[in-house]
Amino acid sequence: MLSPTAERTAPVADRAGAATRPARRRGTSEGPADRAYRRFMFPAALVYTAGFVLPSVYGVVLSFMKWSGPGTEQKWVGWHNYVRVFRDDTVRQAFGNTLVIVVVGGAGVFALAFCAMAVLREMRGRAFVRAAVYLPSIISMIAIGTSLGFLLNPDGVVNRLLRFVGLHTLERSWLEPQHIFGCIVLGVIWMTSGTYIVLLMTSVDGIPQHLYEEAKLTGLTRLQQFRHITFPLSRDMISIAAVLWTVNSLRTFDIVIGFTGTAGTPTPEARTYAVQQWMTTNSQVGIPELGYGSAMATLLTVLTIVLLVLVRRMSRSERLEIS
Amino acid sequence: MRTVGRYFGDIAIPRAIKAVLWVFVAFNLVILGWTLLSSFRGSRSLWTDPLGADGLNVGGYARAWHAGDFAGMALNSALTTAASVAGIMALSAPAAYALARSRRRSAAPVVTYFAAGLALPVQAVLIPYQTLSIKLSQFMVDWVTGWWDARISLVICNVALSLPFAVFVLTGYFRSLPTELEEAAALDGAGSLRTFLQVMVPVARPGLTIVAVLNVIGIWNELLLVMVLIDDPKKQTLPAGLSQLSSTMQYTSDWGGLFAGVVILVAPMILLFFWFGRKIMDGMTLGISK
Repeated sequence: MLSPTAERTAPVADRAGAATRPARRRGTSEGPADRAYRRFMFPAALVYTAGFVLPSVYGVVLSFMKWSGPGTEQKWVGWHNYVRVFRDDTVRQAFGNTLVIVVVGGAGVFALAFCAMAVLREMRGRAFVRAAVYLPSIISMIAIGTSLGFLLNPDGVVNRLLRFVGLHTLERSWLEPQHIFGCIVLGVIWMTSGTYIVLLMTSVDGIPQHLYEEAKLTGLTRLQQFRHITFPLSRDMISIAAVLWTVNSLRTFDIVIGFTGTAGTPTPEARTYAVQQWMTTNSQVGIPELGYGSAMATLLTVLTIVLLVLVRRMSRSERLEIS
Repeated sequence: MRTVGRYFGDIAIPRAIKAVLWVFVAFNLVILGWTLLSSFRGSRSLWTDPLGADGLNVGGYARAWHAGDFAGMALNSALTTAASVAGIMALSAPAAYALARSRRRSAAPVVTYFAAGLALPVQAVLIPYQTLSIKLSQFMVDWVTGWWDARISLVICNVALSLPFAVFVLTGYFRSLPTELEEAAALDGAGSLRTFLQVMVPVARPGLTIVAVLNVIGIWNELLLVMVLIDDPKKQTLPAGLSQLSSTMQYTSDWGGLFAGVVILVAPMILLFFWFGRKIMDGMTLGISK
C-alpha cells in the first residue's frame, strides 16, 4: 500500500522544484504559502525527523551492540551481529522463504494482473470485477488467515471437498509445517493481486481508444493487442508496480501471523525475514536480542535501497533506448 | 492456420481469462459471505458442518464482545485509528501545501527528504520504538504527567511512520490544483492560515479524503506495531486481539465467537469500501499521475 509513488514522482518533484525557482528571481510577490512556509512545514518535518528518521539511525547504532533491552548491559560488538546474520541457518531459511514470496508470489500476482489487463478493459461488469478483486486488499491479513485456517483444518472444508470429489490422495493437513508455506504464498497472491490489478488498470484506462480500433482494423487479435499496445504503453506503470511489489513483499509479516497465530512461535518453515526479525524482539520467545534484530533490520533497509536504486537505473536506461 | 490463431487469440484465450477472473470474484464473494454466515452459527454445528446453515445465532457476537473483550479492543482500534489519522492529516496537509506552493529554495530538497522515508521499512524502527516507548513512558510518569498510556505511543509512531506517504502524495496533489483561488484570497487580505483552511482545504477535499481513507485502512489493520508497543491485552487493537483469540482456539473451540471476531474486525473496512471504494481505487495513482 505504502509508496505507490516513491520511485516515480521523486524526480518529478525535483524538476518541479527547479522549475519554480527562477520565478522568484523574476520578482513575483510572496504568496501565502511562502509566508507560512516554516509554520506549515516545520511540525511535520519535526515529527518525521524525531519519530522516524532519528529512531532508524538509533537502530543502526544498536545493530553494533549486544543488548537485551533496557536494564541490561549494552556492549559494543562491532560487525559481529552482521556476521551472525549471514551465518544463521534459521535466518537463511526465513530469507529463502521471503525470496520465494517475492519471486513465485510475484509471478502469480503479475500473471493475474496481466490477464486482467488483457481482458478487463472491455469486459462486461468490469467495475464490479475490479471492486471484487480489490476487496481482499483492504481486509486485515489476520482476519484472512483466521478464516482460511479454519477452512484448511485437517477436517475442514478443503479436505472435505477433496474427499467429496474423490480426490482423497490430495487431502493434506495443510497447516502442518511441510505444507503451510505453500498456503501462505497462495494467500499472499490472493490478498495482494487486487491492488496490482487496479494499479495497472489505471494505466490501461489511459491508453487512447483509437489505438485499439486501428489495431482491430489491421487484424490484430486481442492477445496481440495486449502484446503490441497495452503492454508496451503500460510499461512505466508496470515498473512502478514491480518496485512496489518487491519492496512490500520483502516485508511480508501479517499473513504469516494470520496463519500461525501469535501463541508460541511460527514454525521455521513458515517464517519470513520480517517474522524472524520480529522474533528477536519478543521476550516470550527467549531473551530479546535487540542488537541482532537491529542488524537484520538494517540489512533489510540496505537491501530495499539497493533494489530501488537498481530498478530506477534500469527503467531510466530503458526509456533512453525507446526515445 | 491463421483462423486457428485468430480463434485462440480473439476468443478462446480471452474467454478463459475472463472465466479465471470471474472465478476469482466468485471466490472472494463466497469467502466473504461464508465468513459472515459462519459468525451467526453455533460453534459445534460450525465445526461438524462448516458449509451448513442453521438459525440466527448471535451467541458468538455476545461471547466475543463481552468475554473476548472485543468491545474494548474495538474501542481501542477506533480511538487509535481516529487519533492517528487526525494527527497525520493535521500535520501533512499544511506541510504539503507549503511545500507544493512555496517558491523557497529548500522546498524541493525537503520533499525529497520526506520521500526518502518511503524506502524505510517499519522494521528499521521496530526495536528503537520498543525501547524508546518504554523510556518515553517512564519519563512521562516520573517527570511530566504522572501517567502514560502505551496507546498514545502507538498513535505517535503511527503518525511518524505515515507522514512520508501523506506529505509526498499530497504535495503532488496540491501542485495539481489551480492557483487562482488563493491569489484571489491573498488579494482579499486573508492570512495564510485562513487561505489554507477556507480556500485550499475545501478545494483539495477529494485528495485529502483519499489519503485519509488509505491511512484509516492501513492503521486499522496494523498488527506489528501493536504487538511490539502494547503488552497489556486490554489496550491492544482488534488485529492483535483476533490473532490472540485464534491462537487459543484449539483449547476453547469457540468457532462462532472467532468468526464474530473476524466480522467485527472486517465489517468497518467493508463499509468504508462501499462508501469510498471507487475513490480509493481511482486515487491509487494520486501521487503518480498528477
